[in-house]
Parts: sequence; structure tokens; C-alpha cells
Amino acid sequence: MYQPPSLLEKWSQENNELVNKCKQQEAGGGAVSRDHRQSSLRWCSSEFHKLLRKIQGIPPHVDHSQLELAVVYNTCVCFTAQSQFSEAELLLKEATERVLQVTGNNADTSDPLVLWRAGLKSAGNTALHPHVLYLLCLQWALWLAKCQLENIGELQEQMSSLCEIVCDGVGDCSPSEAKGRLSKSPLLVMEPKRLTELLQICTSIAQGAEKLNEGRSSEALSDLQAASALPATRALVAYTHLLSGSCLAHMNRPQMALQCYKRALETDSRCVCALYRSMLIYRQLGNTQAEIQALRLLHSTLMLPPATEPVLGGIQPLSPSLLLSSQSLSRLLSVPSALSVLYSLALKCVLSGRVTEGVEHYLDLLAALHSEDQHAVDAEVSVLPRMLELYLEAGTALLFTRRPADCMAFCNEVISTTLELVPEKVVLEEPEEGIGGDARGLSVEGEDKVAMLLWAAAAYLLQGHCHTHLKDWKQAVTHYTRCINLLVKVHLKNRDFQPQIPAADVNVKHGKDLCTLQRMKGLSLAWRGISFTQMDQLREALRDLQLSLQAFPDYTGAGLWCGEVLWRLGRKHEAAACWEKTWSLTTQTSVEKLPLYLQDPQSGPLLDSVELRLRIQELGLT
Amino acid sequence: MMESVLSEDLYRNPHRLSHCGKTISFNCKRAPGTNDNEGSELIFCSLSFEREGNTFLKAADGAAVISRKRLAHVDIVKCKSVTDAHKRATAPCVLVIKKSEKRSSFQYSLLTLSSSNRLEPCVEFKLPYQMKGAVYILQGPTVLWRHEGGVLYTSPQAEGVRQVPIHFSHCVVGELPLHKGQVFVLGLQKLPEESTSQTLGYFVEDGQVFDGSVILPHLYISITQCILVVAADRVDGVLKCDVVAATSNRQLVYFENGVVKDVCQLPFEQPENIQVVNTGRYGSLFAVSFCEGHVCTIWKETFQIAALWSSVTSIHVDDFLGCGTDQMLLVFKDRVIALEEFLITDLCGISFSHGQDTEAPKTSPPPPENYLLTLKALESRLQSGLTVLQELQREVTVKESVLRQSVKALTDVVSEREPVLTQHEQEGLIALWDSDDESKNEALDDKIHDIPAVSSKPRIDKLWHRTTEGRMVVGVILTTDRSAPVTNVSLSILTDTGQCSRPAVIQTQSQVFWLPAACSSPSSSSSSSFSASTFPEPPAKKSKQHNAISTNDLNACRVAVTAVTKLTPLLNSGRVKCHVMLHYIQTPDAFSFMSNQRPVVLHCGQVALDIQNNLHTELLKTPQLIADEVREDFLSLLAVLDHWVFHIDSPEYSLGDINGWIQKRVGCKKIEVSPQYLLLNSSGPSALMLLNWHQITPFQGELHVHSSQLQMFQFLDSLLAYLPESCSIQPLKGAGEQPTDIKSVNKGGRTSEMLLGEYLVPRLPWKQISKAHHWKC
Repeated sequence: MYQPPSLLEKWSQENNELVNKCKQQEAGGGAVSRDHRQSSLRWCSSEFHKLLRKIQGIPPHVDHSQLELAVVYNTCVCFTAQSQFSEAELLLKEATERVLQVTGNNADTSDPLVLWRAGLKSAGNTALHPHVLYLLCLQWALWLAKCQLENIGELQEQMSSLCEIVCDGVGDCSPSEAKGRLSKSPLLVMEPKRLTELLQICTSIAQGAEKLNEGRSSEALSDLQAASALPATRALVAYTHLLSGSCLAHMNRPQMALQCYKRALETDSRCVCALYRSMLIYRQLGNTQAEIQALRLLHSTLMLPPATEPVLGGIQPLSPSLLLSSQSLSRLLSVPSALSVLYSLALKCVLSGRVTEGVEHYLDLLAALHSEDQHAVDAEVSVLPRMLELYLEAGTALLFTRRPADCMAFCNEVISTTLELVPEKVVLEEPEEGIGGDARGLSVEGEDKVAMLLWAAAAYLLQGHCHTHLKDWKQAVTHYTRCINLLVKVHLKNRDFQPQIPAADVNVKHGKDLCTLQRMKGLSLAWRGISFTQMDQLREALRDLQLSLQAFPDYTGAGLWCGEVLWRLGRKHEAAACWEKTWSLTTQTSVEKLPLYLQDPQSGPLLDSVELRLRIQELGLT
Repeated sequence: MMESVLSEDLYRNPHRLSHCGKTISFNCKRAPGTNDNEGSELIFCSLSFEREGNTFLKAADGAAVISRKRLAHVDIVKCKSVTDAHKRATAPCVLVIKKSEKRSSFQYSLLTLSSSNRLEPCVEFKLPYQMKGAVYILQGPTVLWRHEGGVLYTSPQAEGVRQVPIHFSHCVVGELPLHKGQVFVLGLQKLPEESTSQTLGYFVEDGQVFDGSVILPHLYISITQCILVVAADRVDGVLKCDVVAATSNRQLVYFENGVVKDVCQLPFEQPENIQVVNTGRYGSLFAVSFCEGHVCTIWKETFQIAALWSSVTSIHVDDFLGCGTDQMLLVFKDRVIALEEFLITDLCGISFSHGQDTEAPKTSPPPPENYLLTLKALESRLQSGLTVLQELQREVTVKESVLRQSVKALTDVVSEREPVLTQHEQEGLIALWDSDDESKNEALDDKIHDIPAVSSKPRIDKLWHRTTEGRMVVGVILTTDRSAPVTNVSLSILTDTGQCSRPAVIQTQSQVFWLPAACSSPSSSSSSSFSASTFPEPPAKKSKQHNAISTNDLNACRVAVTAVTKLTPLLNSGRVKCHVMLHYIQTPDAFSFMSNQRPVVLHCGQVALDIQNNLHTELLKTPQLIADEVREDFLSLLAVLDHWVFHIDSPEYSLGDINGWIQKRVGCKKIEVSPQYLLLNSSGPSALMLLNWHQITPFQGELHVHSSQLQMFQFLDSLLAYLPESCSIQPLKGAGEQPTDIKSVNKGGRTSEMLLGEYLVPRLPWKQISKAHHWKC
């Protein structure tokens, strides 16, 4: 007589076949595309769900429960891997309720925490217990993925006993017994032990990030350091070191933080964030050489093709990225793009005197911006300075390396782009303290106009500098004049206007414009004056230098040359006074905060302070 | 007035069935007129669909007097079109009940409508009770119902009311679409002795009992509300059938020979009936009707929901259009002589409706529900197409991979390539065995006896011995001067010179242990490596150059040296006392010791053999104790047990807390005299195991295992389950044999070949142990 196979047998077989298929697809997943992986995952989850519906179509039964829970586990893993969290959660809830039914308990509650406690208690010491624990693992994963860390905290006790049972296999007494049970128990798509390990370290990382965010750095640090000994992939272990480093940086221990970042990099060479954080620490410590080194490494690492994840015994369906989605963590793990790193590198090199290197980086950056497809560039533009500004900075760097012709080419590019857009007249309101940013009466368009004008003026200024470098004084005067002509189009609208640059730390854009304007005025006038001096037009020179000092009193170059002109004009005492006054100036505007192109040109005629002092001494003697 | 209202009511929602493309309604009414001899009569009206008018027109009608008694109450119980076994044709049947005035007996009669449109009585029977619950009119015609736990039936063939002779706790009634009509009852029968129950089936016609699980699995019986046998066949007397069943868990389940094939979640509760709609080349539909007028149709192929309707009065399946395939007639508003609101559809292009769109103006678009239904129908067709496509794709990938493999195999054959077998043996054998050693050693041997003791010779702190399982361990603890370190330390045992003129050297195996300084407590020196190196002592040589040890210099304060020997030769020769000699080379300068080797022999003392001096008794009892006894036991144990070192490397996945894992094993204790060692004593003294885990980085470490080989394998097996999958275990040092060759485990008979093997082991790339490769011990 034909005897149909029992439901349990048949369904177990179906489950095991599905699991094997899933694993095969995952094992082959290294080669195939992401889309393929996604579609095979979708197929698996629908098949598991179908099987589960079959199993749950009959009333809960003790003999079937183990299989049922295993299939719930498999289905939920697939659902979770596809970020179908609510579906997975519903399945878990139903499964827990059925466990309660089967064990003869009832919990009339919708609170998942209460339900889980009841479920775990009722499964107690039965054969179901491990399977209920596996489901709890998934609940844990769901809470983690949804950043509901407080729920995980609530069930801390259950979770830790879960870890002990699942990971250490404390429950298994003799290996033979365990094996006998294993062969009968239905297969699972993801080893609960691996899942638990993943959850443990991911939870530690997420909690660490959360605590760090709340300012509880030392607490976070000890947790993270404990977590670094947990079994996990290199990337995750590196994260624990990285976050430990961030905690230490937060606690004002930069050297120890650097140690942690180093450990993170040693653990996982793909942990670029550690490199980035180290760079920030070096910057904070003022270690420019190390900072540049770190920036260079960071850039070359970011330029590497994205490394393919190593395949370890088949990719696990649940990826750490799914479980580490909290905002505070992603903020901690974010790394700027390769291009903005390159920009920082270029600027840093030029500012720290490694000009030749800086020029190379600037040219690389511009080439990359030109060659890269527009879409990628658009994403970059928001973090990078405007293109024209980059041209001006690159030009300045070229001038610093005594390549005036190249510099002029860049400036011409800027001028040709901006000239038609420069308005006839523009009003710049000085920010009034107390009223705040709202007082700015300029539209975005107007703001752009000011920027255009300033860029065009800066281009002329740079061209002037180029001619100065070439000792072509006439041309220099022409270009400085063009710069000045543009600058005077800006009208400052403030009743009690003072010819003073606002404090350097005014970070309102508007204040920055004003500061730029004044400094550029000072520079262009001063350098026109110096050019006049070279052409022996001393009166014009004196006028310009004095105007320059009015616009920008702190500029020592103007002060010294003003004295020189006075000296040549025979007003030696005035000259001496002028020099003395200039030397007494101590305020040094922070060079780093100014645009690169507003720096004092490093070429052109120079005055030797020692010689000047000698002259004063001689004057005093006579 | 009263009368007309009443009759209006009577005309509403009549009992209706479909038969041969027509729909027939039945109703009971009082016969017109109020004469004494006029009783109740059963009227019927047959309607056929007229395509042009989009309506049903009367085809025939008639009436039959059921009761002439005035006060008798007549009701229709059920009507259905079933096969008449006698006439071998389907006929509409209607079951009516006549209640007597006293209501003490109930007269039932089953009437059939003949082809000449006459109502003829078929079966009549009397019951002392009124039927409650489900009543079935099945082929035969058979009337079947349940009463007080029993299943009763009657038919023209049965001659009277009969009872199924099995007591069922739950039962399901169905019929097989076989030539000879097979009405069956499935049920759960409680087994008297056991708590479980078995599934039994019973054929009403011949009273045959069969195993019900060929139709429905055991667990489904109690939750099945209604079933439909889609196909049935008898192959060699074995029943094979496809069944759909609607369960109380809101599922429609498809069974093939008692195995669940597919499941569809139903949207409504309380299914009442399942019908199959054959739509021709588009496949078949299952129409499930529910309590409260819901209807759900499911495609048979995809087992997906096709369409849903609510507030349906009745649903009938027949070829109402006369086109050769089935359609569904969904009746929404019904009267005996006309269908006010209905829909005829097969969801495959045929759709006629009446009443539904007359209410709404013609210009208005069909209700959105229709779109939904169409969409759902299309969707399910699409899904069925998709499944076919997916199956084809899967087939293609399989074929492709087979092709690829075949091509590869073919190219291999053509190019005469063969799988390359790595032969590790050939790589390691050369140049490791230096034949010059032999002569050098012999030269040294001669010197040994006349070398005087150097002034700063090591101090012997303690000499002890233990016996265990046919072997004896002799151990010495020495203190050496840091300024004059010693190397090449070993022990040898000489028999007592009492009777013999020449002392005989007994074959031993020495080990050296670096102990933490005597002054500091052992626990505080956990960082200092407490390493051990094993090397055997060939019988003819008292001292032997060992590369392994000469590379280390013994500048530590304290050293323990042990020697193991077989007990039997000692006992055989009757020697109970023996001398223990220490061999070493003293190097005053740690950097020039190679040029200055001077083997020295030191007499450590005498041991009187005591076979009662058993090993590890103390240690076993209290491993947490710190005492000399325990330390000696521990060192003896290290000397006696085989020793393996494994390098565990997991390049991508950190190892976690291996020490913690070992400590959680059953019977694991920490040894306080040497805290980095763990004693595993799971199953008695014969299975002692010493473990030392040394983590190098989070991703690699070294595991020292001192145990028997079998145990080592068992331990590694369970460790493998704990370790990450991508992990590799590489033996650095074996116990002296080829580790894979278990047959050669023989500690006593060491030859120079064995020695060679020992040297080779660390250099042989032993088969990597990964999880995929399970050892069979």
C-alpha cells in the first residue's frame, strides 16, 4: 500500500533543499552581479514564505514546531536581508504566539518585549528553546537595523544568555549527542552562531557610536575596547578600533587616538576612515608634514578601485551594513570624496611651502574635474570651492613656482568667464552686529555678482603680480589699475563705515566678502605703488601706498614701501616714522583663512629691514 | 395584501442549481386556494441565458404537490445536480422536509427533476429528528448527514437509512470523479489505547475502509471545511488523487496523493463549497464560496487568487452560453422566475452582467472594483507566465554550466593536461638530514666522560619521579647562573652499577621547560613563555645535538628537565634504583657558544623506583593548588603526553575568545602553577588533556595540545565548529610521528627514521585543515 510521506518529513526536506539552493546561490555570488544576488534572494524569500504558509496552515503541533521555527528563521533572514523589516517582524510575532499556543500558554499582548519574555519562558527547557533563541537573534537584528537600541537594552539579560548558548554551545554536553541532534534538525540559511557574533559586534559598535554622540566617551571607549576582542570580520574589528580612537580624540588624547586609528588600519587596510581621522588629528596637532602625508595616503587609497569583499565560505545573507545604519555612526564613518581630499592636499602643500607639489595636485584636481563625467562632478561641486576659485588658487600656486605665463593663462580664463557678468555697480552691506544674518539685503544673485567681481579683480591682481615678477612695471600698473577699477564698483553701505577689516573669525560669508574686498584693495594699491616706485613715479607711488594703508592698515609691505618712497622723496624723518610704525604692527592676520590668491606675492622687489634700520640709525646720527 | 407580501418573500432567494446550461430554481409555496385538501407544493422554474437580451428567459416551469395536509410545514433543505446511478445521467435533485404537526417525526423526500420536466420522488425516509449542520446530496443520488457523532446516509440502492460503522471525531465528505461514483467519508478515529488518532476513509457504496491519508494528511482532517477531488485514478488498486481543501485557517491547499503541493491564502473566513471551472485553453479555476456571500476564485495552475466578489447569493458553474467551456454564474439578486442581478464570467474574456450596470447610468465607467478584478486576473496570468519563464531560465543556466564543464573537460583531454598532484614528501626530504652529525656526535661522545665539571655548574634543586601507565618520568629542576647559561640540556637514566660492571643507559626522551624565576610567583609571569621542546634520546647516544634547543639559550634562572622511559625494562632487570645524569653545554658567552661547545655531564642523584608514586593524583584533585607536588605532576604530565602545536590563522575573521571557549568546556580547570595552561579532564584520568592557547593577533594564534592523538582530534573537531569558516589550522610540531599516519603511533621503538620524521614534520606542509575537510578519527 502506498504510504504518503509525513508532512514533517516532506517539509523538512523542502526546507533543506531550499537552504542548500540558497547557499549555492550565495557561494556563486562572488562572481555574479548584485542584481542577480538580489533576485535570487527574492526568490528564496518567496519560496521560504510559501513553505511557511504551508506549515502554518495547520494548527501548531509540538512535532512540527522545531521545523516551523526553523522555516520562520530562514524566511525572516531572507526578509531582513531585503530590508523587509515589518514583514519579518510580523512573522516573528506570529511564530512567538504559536510557540505560546503549543506550550499551552497564552499572552494577550501586543508588546513585543512582553511577548518575547513569555515565549522564552514557555519554551523553557524544551527542545524548542534554541530555536526560539534563534528567532530572538533575528528580532535583535531587526531592532538593530531599525536603530531601536533601547529594546535591545531591555532584553539584555535574555540576549547575553542567548550569546552564551548559541555561541559557546554550552548546552551541548557530549559531541556525539549534539551531532545526532544536528543531523535531524532542519538546516538554516545562516548559522545562528555567526549571526549572533555579527549582532554582538554590530550592537557594540552602534551603541558605542550612540554613546560617543551623547558625549559619554569614556563609557563608550571601554565598551568598544571590549568589543574589539569579539570574533568578527576585519572590517568590523577595525570599526571598533576606529571608534575607540574617536572616543579618545573626544577625550582630548590625540596620541592615543592615533594609536587606535593605526590599529584600525593594521586590522583592515580598507578602513579609509581611520586614515581620514588620523589626518584630522594631525591637523589639530599642527603637524603639517604628517597631515600632508596622511592626505596623500588618503587620496591614493580613495583612488583605488573598490576592493571586492573577500568571499568567506559564501557571503552571509545579512551584511553588517544592514545592521549599522544609525545616523550617528554613519556620521562617524563618513569620509570626504577623493577630489575634496585632493583639494585639501593641494592647498595644504602650497600653504606649507611645498609649492611645486601643490601645483601638481592642483593640476591633477583640475584635470580630474574636467575629465570626470558631469554627474560625478555635480556631486563634488558642493564640497569643493567654485571652479573659478580653483583656477585662481592654481594660478597663485603657479606664480609661486615662478611660472607667470601659466598663471596668466589661468587668469585670462577667469577674466573671460566673469567679465560679462560683472555688474556696473554693486552694493555690499556691512554686517551689523546684533542684527545677525537676516540683515543681509542681498539676493543670491547679488551675492553671485559680488563673487564674480571679486574673482575678476583677483585675476587682474594676479596678472599684475605676474608682470611684477617679470619686471614689466608698465603692464603691472595697467593690471593693478584694472583690479582697482573693478573694486571701486563695490559700494559699501554702512553709515558708520570704518576702514577696518572685520575680525578674522567673522565667518559670515558676507563678512568674508568684505574682508576679501579690503585686502584686495590694499594689495592692488600697494603693488601699483611699488610698480610706480620702480618707474620712479614717486608721487603716484606715494598716493597709492597711502591709499593702500587706508584700506588695509595691517599690510606691512605697503608700510615699508611707503617709507621708502618718502625716503626717496627726501622726507627721511617721515620715512623713519613710517617704518617704525610698520614694524610695531603685531597683528598678523591668519594667512590660512584667506583665499590663497590674496597672499602676498613671493616675488617682486623686496626691502631689507636690516638695511632700513641702518638707514634710520644713520639718520639718527646725522 | 398580506398574502402578496408573503409570496413576494417566498419568491426571494430561492434554492437554485444549474443543470445542462440552465439554471433551475425551487421554492415551496402554499397551493393556491384554501381548500381543505390543498397542501404545500414545490414549484420550479428553469431559466436559460439569452445572449441578445443579456438576460435569462424562462425555459420551463412546473409544480408538484408535496403535502396535502394543511398544517404540515414543507421546506427545502438543499438542492443539487448529481449523477443518478440508475439512469447514468445527471439530474437535478431537491431534498424537502415535511414536518408533522406534532413535530415528533420528520419526513424527508428527495425529488429529481426528470428530463420531461416532472418532479419525481426518488427516496423517501422518516427521521425522529431534524437534520442539523451540513447535509450533502451526492452522486447516487445519496443523501448524507451527521447526527450525534454518527454519519448517516441513504440512497435508492441503500434501501433505508444507514449509518457508517465507524465513529469519527471529525469528518470530511467528498466524492471521487471516478467512473463508478465513489462517495467517501474521511475521518479521525480515536485509537482506544493511544492518545493519537488515525485517519480512516470509508466508501459509502461498498463499505470499504481505506487509509485516509492518501487523500488528506492526518493533521488537515480536523481543519478542513470542504474539499474537492480534482482528479482521481486507481493504479494497481492504489488510489491516486489530487485534492483541494479549504481549511479553517483561511487557506486553500492543493494535495497530490496526500502531499501538500501548494497553498493559497484565502481572504475570507468559513469556506462552504469549492467548484472547479474549466475555462478551456486558459486553464481551470477554483471557485470557493464562503458564508455571508463571499466568493473567491483561484487559478489552478498558479494557485493565485484570480478574483473576489461579495454579497453573492449563489454561484453556479455550467456552460450557460453553450460555448463548450464553463462559466460562472454569480447571482447577486435572485427571484424564482428571474435573475435580477447576475454576472456570467470565466475571467478569460467572457463577461455578461445584468442588473449591476442598469442601476448606474450607462455612461459612467465600470466600478473600480472591476478594474481591480481585471488587474488581478491579468496579474495572475502574468505570474503563471513568469513562473514558466523562470523555470526555463533555470534550465538554461543548468545546461550552460554542464556545457562549460564538458568543454573544459574536453580541452583538458585534448591538451593532455592532468590534475597536478602536489607531493610534499619530495619537497622536504633533501638537505634536512645532515649525515655529518653522526661523526661529530661520536667525537663528542668520547670527550664526555673525561670533561671535568665547570666551576659554575647548574644547581640541582629538586629531583623527582613519577610512574604512569607503564612509563616513568624523571624530572630535575635546576637553577643556572645567568652569566653562564647552559644549552643542549637533556637527562639520561643509568641503571645502578651494583652488580654490573658497566652502567647501562636506558632509552629516554627528554624535555626542557623554562620555568619562571623561583623568587617570583608563577602566576605573575604569565607573559614569559613557558615553552617546552621534546626530543628523544637515541639508545646508543647519551648526548645529541639538537638544533631545536641550541638556538635557545638558557639564561633564565630555573629550568626543569624531564626524561620519560618505559617502565618494563627497569622492572624486568630488577633495578629499582637508577642514576639520573644531566647533560648540558655551558657557554660563558651567549654569543660565542657555537665555537665553545663543551658537553658536560652532571650526576643529579639517584631515584629509587616506586611504582606507587603515581602521576597527577594531586594535580587532578586540586589543579588550583600551588605546590611543588603539583608542579612536578604538571611537568610529568607534559613529559608523558604527546604534544602538538597548531598555528591557527583566520585571515578575514577574528578568532574571538578562544581561551574563554576552552574554559567553558566541561571539566576544564586552570592550572595555577602555570596559569597559561588549562587542564581538560572531561572523562576520567585516561583522557587528560593540557591546553595552552597563545594569541598572537586577533586573527592568529598558537594552540599547544598535550594529549593522546585521538583526543587531540576530538578536541580539534569541536574547535573547528567554533572557529570561523575561513580559518586554517596548520600543525607546527607533531608528537614525533606523521600526524596523519595513526598506525605509526608507537612511542617506544624510536629509530633514527622516526627521528627523521620528527624533523620533517615542522617543514612538511601538512594538509590544511579547514572546515570543509572533516577528519575521520
